[in-house]
Amino acid sequence: MNEIDRIIKAQSLFQCLECGKCSAACPRRLTGKEYSPRLLAHKVIAEREDEAFIENAVWDCLSCGMCSERCPSGVKFSGFILDMRTLLAETKGLQGYRAHDGAIHSWMRMMTAPELEQNRLDWVSEDLGVAESGDVAFFVGCAPYFDVFFAGIEVDTLSIAKDSIRLLNFMDIKPVLLRDERCCGHDLLWTGDRENFERLCRLNYETFRAAGVREIVVSCPECYHVLSEHMPRVIPGFDIKITLLLDLLQREVHKGGKAFRSLKRRATYQDPCRLGRMAGRYAAPRELLGLIPELRLAEMENSGPSALCCGNCGFINCDAHSKQIQVQRLQEARATGAEMLITACPKCLIHLTCAIRDRLRQGSVKMEIRDILSVLADQIAWYGG
Amino acid sequence: METSADMKKSAGKKQVRLLGICCNWSPFACYNAAGMARLAMPPDFRLMRVMCIGRINQALILRAFEYGADGVILLECLDEDCRYGPGPGVGHENVRRVRKLLHLLGIDQERLVERSFGAHEKDVLVETLWRFADQIQALGPMTGGDALGVKRPAL
Repeated sequence: MNEIDRIIKAQSLFQCLECGKCSAACPRRLTGKEYSPRLLAHKVIAEREDEAFIENAVWDCLSCGMCSERCPSGVKFSGFILDMRTLLAETKGLQGYRAHDGAIHSWMRMMTAPELEQNRLDWVSEDLGVAESGDVAFFVGCAPYFDVFFAGIEVDTLSIAKDSIRLLNFMDIKPVLLRDERCCGHDLLWTGDRENFERLCRLNYETFRAAGVREIVVSCPECYHVLSEHMPRVIPGFDIKITLLLDLLQREVHKGGKAFRSLKRRATYQDPCRLGRMAGRYAAPRELLGLIPELRLAEMENSGPSALCCGNCGFINCDAHSKQIQVQRLQEARATGAEMLITACPKCLIHLTCAIRDRLRQGSVKMEIRDILSVLADQIAWYGG
Repeated sequence: METSADMKKSAGKKQVRLLGICCNWSPFACYNAAGMARLAMPPDFRLMRVMCIGRINQALILRAFEYGADGVILLECLDEDCRYGPGPGVGHENVRRVRKLLHLLGIDQERLVERSFGAHEKDVLVETLWRFADQIQALGPMTGGDALGVKRPAL
């Protein structure tokens, strides 16, 4: 069977009713980009000879999952995009229009070298409780790299890792940090580079095994998406428990004498696509933020399952339309009257910070933006403390 | 322009891949003058000419290493000589950040070098290139031959 036929079948594309709800909801389409998930589905099924259209459209998708959310028919559109990108990368060498000239993908590919001896833990300070060995490890992700590369927009994603460890310490967990941890490979996976993605998976699995850990705690939604969903498909007999830090907090925070100090602010929350639509975690972040006294959480016009993407995914196809989505999102956030935008993904933080700092906007979408884990780590305390 | 003298000089040493990213103005004038004067260049050295070092970003430097360079040198104009304005400054900032990324990746930061030249300094440029070649020779090829080279092309 032809590979495209297989993909159509596997991702239920024949169930498409051509109702067009996907295109009507697609954030990229709504900013005026000539891109339509409905038309792409039609072309792949009925006009496959229009290769130029298909090849362009497949890379235009943000993979935010809004189309699948709206589809009344159960078409797995994000899965279709992922499979098509893998196919086009393998057969035609396509990789999409890479933002930042592909630097992020470069360091991910460099991490596929088995001999690599990284210095990725220089930032671990005395006050962070970490263990040399144990059952539970914390997956740091690309934060040390991001903070160097994106120094120009002054993002601080490393503080998310530090705050995650502080929160774990509060839950009486001293996680192991893995010196040989690699990037989870999310961006290589979503740009079709299956071969190097699988290499990273295998190297990471070897690292987990060598460290003797049984459970990996993850804070980044993209890492969680890969480690919990895609890695078990690459590694036969994958036997490591993957835990999302927000889930762990939700479970543990009520145990034994923990409380939150009040924070007299008005805030709004950005659902990251990998956490919301792909992992269904809408309640956990809201419940946790709800525990902070005096923090008033206002919802944006589009939130929860309808949350708008941060404009970019996998560090490809960043363009004027991405910027427009980001500006629209920030305007929605400001319209709630919130002073602070809380997000749960370092990529949302990077992309929205980029738009906030855009000089052409002259500060019109300016607002404080923080990661949920940093907010929680700053406010958590012992009873009466 | 590899002479037999160059070949002898490099005999017995491990082959390393050296890339020079060279601004079209002062450094290239030096390089050109050095070529006219038939000054010997390190044998494993390749030059990539760009209009200005300000054109080079973190990604392109990083990609040189991804594609298998063992050492990269940025050849820039003096800060005050830039034909466009901010070029060398952009170079300094990019080198500073990519060196940090290399350190994170466990790659010796000394593998990335930047030097500025006035338009008349051909001897200084050639001497710099030989010193750069020696420095990378001393560090040797990157971990385990083609370990890092996902797309390491043939020499």
